[in-house]
Amino acid sequence: MDKLTLGTRDVSIEFPGVKALTNVNFEVSTGEIRAVVGANGAGKSTLMKILAGTNPDYTGEVYLNNEVVVLNTAMSAKKIGIQIVYQEVDTALVPTLSVAENVMLNHMIMESRNHPMINWNKMRREAWEVLERLHIDVNVKKLVQNLTLAQKQMVLIAKAVASKCNFLILDEPTAPLSDTETAELFRVVKHLQATENIAIIFISHRINEVIQICEKYTVMRNGEIVCTTPVTQNTTTKEIVEKMLGRTFEELFTKDKVQLGEKIFEVSHLSGADGKVDDVSFYVKKGEIVGIAGLVGAGKSELCKTIFGAYKKTDGIIRYNGKELRIKNPTNAVKHRIGLVPEERRKEGVLVNETVSFNLSAACLGKFCKASFINKKKVDANAKRYVHDLGIATPSIKQFVKNLSGGNQQKVAVGKWLAADCDIYIFDEPTKGVDVGAKQEIFHLINNITKQGNSVIYASCENAELMSITDRIYVLYDGRVMAEIITANTNEDEIMHYAVGSDTKYA
Amino acid sequence: MQATLKRRSLGSDNSKKFLRFLLDWAAIITLVLCFIIFTLIKGSNFMSQNNMINILRAMSITTVFGIAATVTMAPDGFDMSACTLASCSAYVFVSMFLWYGLPLWLCIVVTIGVTLVMYQLTMFLILVCKIPDMLATAALMFVHQGLGQWYIGGGAVSTGMRLPNGNAPARTALSDAFSAIGRAPWIIIIMLACVLVAYIFLEYTKHGRFIYAMGGNKQAAKLSGINIKKYRYLAGMITAVFIAIGGILVASRGSSAQVMCADNYLMQSLAAVFVGRSVGGAEKPNALGTLVGAMLVSTLENGLTICAVSYYVLPAVKGAVLALALIAAYAGKKEQ
Repeated sequence: MDKLTLGTRDVSIEFPGVKALTNVNFEVSTGEIRAVVGANGAGKSTLMKILAGTNPDYTGEVYLNNEVVVLNTAMSAKKIGIQIVYQEVDTALVPTLSVAENVMLNHMIMESRNHPMINWNKMRREAWEVLERLHIDVNVKKLVQNLTLAQKQMVLIAKAVASKCNFLILDEPTAPLSDTETAELFRVVKHLQATENIAIIFISHRINEVIQICEKYTVMRNGEIVCTTPVTQNTTTKEIVEKMLGRTFEELFTKDKVQLGEKIFEVSHLSGADGKVDDVSFYVKKGEIVGIAGLVGAGKSELCKTIFGAYKKTDGIIRYNGKELRIKNPTNAVKHRIGLVPEERRKEGVLVNETVSFNLSAACLGKFCKASFINKKKVDANAKRYVHDLGIATPSIKQFVKNLSGGNQQKVAVGKWLAADCDIYIFDEPTKGVDVGAKQEIFHLINNITKQGNSVIYASCENAELMSITDRIYVLYDGRVMAEIITANTNEDEIMHYAVGSDTKYA
Repeated sequence: MQATLKRRSLGSDNSKKFLRFLLDWAAIITLVLCFIIFTLIKGSNFMSQNNMINILRAMSITTVFGIAATVTMAPDGFDMSACTLASCSAYVFVSMFLWYGLPLWLCIVVTIGVTLVMYQLTMFLILVCKIPDMLATAALMFVHQGLGQWYIGGGAVSTGMRLPNGNAPARTALSDAFSAIGRAPWIIIIMLACVLVAYIFLEYTKHGRFIYAMGGNKQAAKLSGINIKKYRYLAGMITAVFIAIGGILVASRGSSAQVMCADNYLMQSLAAVFVGRSVGGAEKPNALGTLVGAMLVSTLENGLTICAVSYYVLPAVKGAVLALALIAAYAGKKEQ
């Protein structure tokens, strides 16, 4: 097997108003597993898209074994054996076709000119052989829509390997996976490395995984490569994170102390969301920020949505000020002054095709109406107030929310509930996909909510965030509460200890 | 180098804006062009007060059904069975008047009431059984046709006809007021009133905005605390009222309720909504846009007839112009 080397020389790219990459020199050779880490907006995805041929407007050059290659289409990248598996697996698979067809799709397209008829036996056998080669156990006749997320990812990797593949890019492959599924993925990746002439480029936010599986890691920050370092026995998470952020942990955010009141909101023995929330009990004090920790898939979003009435509750009682709240749907929850800032901002949090002004009044439009007729002046005054208070960067309140940046969209999603004057605010991964600066502002905002005597439930899988903003943390695993921790007396290791499902006491 | 780049991008920005403008107002531009061209060719034969009233009268039924479809489509719903239901409304309206001799106002109330009751079935299938709108209403088309014709005994409801059970009708002639509903100026006034009511409801009340919010993104609307089932139901009920009004207009205009008299209005009314969607860059079904869409269809039909285009070629020309308007509405869209 000839060793192949893929690299970039002084690659830069600019998007309107932003320099996304500056003189990046990146090199990777077959036979290695390379991690690329960095904060949001560091340029990881941009670089990978250049390698995948979908960002053709770069300057500088990309070379394969010292020979310059031009990557201007996805096809040109595939031709020299660069395959990418995106995080959103559903966009790359055809759900109504079988596993065999999906795995062999590229083949089918390329061969269709010579073989207009489909030989089902041959196709299934070939697909099966690819899966077998990777030791992936999936029935090739199954429809892709009936697979689990992890299986879909395996099918995508098989699809990549079924064609010519020397450089396999995995963009945050483990983010939606459970522990066992992640272990399975790593097994497949290790197996690929051992048996094929292949380089695997692994993008991840989970630094402990990087240490576990990769031989070298490349750190990116602000569109530049900071360093490329081998992973050794002594490599620590802290060290990598500091390189990513260019500073130390402690600077992340310092919370202003808020005087805590009495117990105000209480959830007891809550179950629901098709079993994804299992007998959860917790309470929140007035002015408190309670964290919900846990890995992706632990049931945090499901818990938030069950409290909010968006998922079906099968058992349990929710109390506010000792009084039981009957919440059957989100409309009830809003009536009881509970607000939810959901994880999927664009899909669930804001109405992207409506104006900033309408979004900021969507949860409490009744306040600005007289006999059902909207008083536009009041709606606009409300919008102006929150655009100013939250520092939402928008040219006007008539701007459509789809034209705002991620951080500003998030502020609109929060502002909607501030306008509705809630008592309990539930945040589900509020910092997902926003840059460090906007993150700080969102933290300030949440801090201010509690200063006014309201309470916050803050669900996140970023333990560092929970450490800096919460007062108390409940750790979820598989829909159950594993531990209740006082933030001041803990560290990230302890949260992780419970988040992975250990039922022993943390020492 | 950089300066030229900047200039070029600025230039393309302006031309893009201009293109966007053309596309947004394509329906109205086409409409104005139609007026100019027909006037140039036929002069006062086309551009006369009488003919303008002809156009308005001809478009009114399509517009009312278009408004019904607009209200259904605003929360991202769809109703294929609107016009078969309207036929039923027409049967009920004329039979109440002729067979049972009810006063006109009561006939109207009963027709709206029956249509609302029948629409509960639509809402049941969509909201309770959770069948996709398109499929549920496609099935209901047959239900409406069958039920309606069972009620009228398979034949038209008109003056001089006996009831299906052989009894003599209570009235043997239509009243002047009955016929006036279907003539100018009343039919035009009713149409404009329907457009105005729908416009105010959708644009200026919170219910209307919630319905649009739901049409834009159901999930986000639900998580903002909007009761999406309630608003889909509300939209359905308002649709039913407009369907009943449409049925009444059809019956009054035809001086009878012929078998399947309203069924053919479905495609025209949907076309009006789709053309109207893009008017002024609204990007959602809206009452004024639907009015423009219906007017475009009706003007074309009128103008071409005056220009002595054979009636059997008309649909092809009409269809082609509609397709052009729709190309303008959808061609500028980004690929999903």
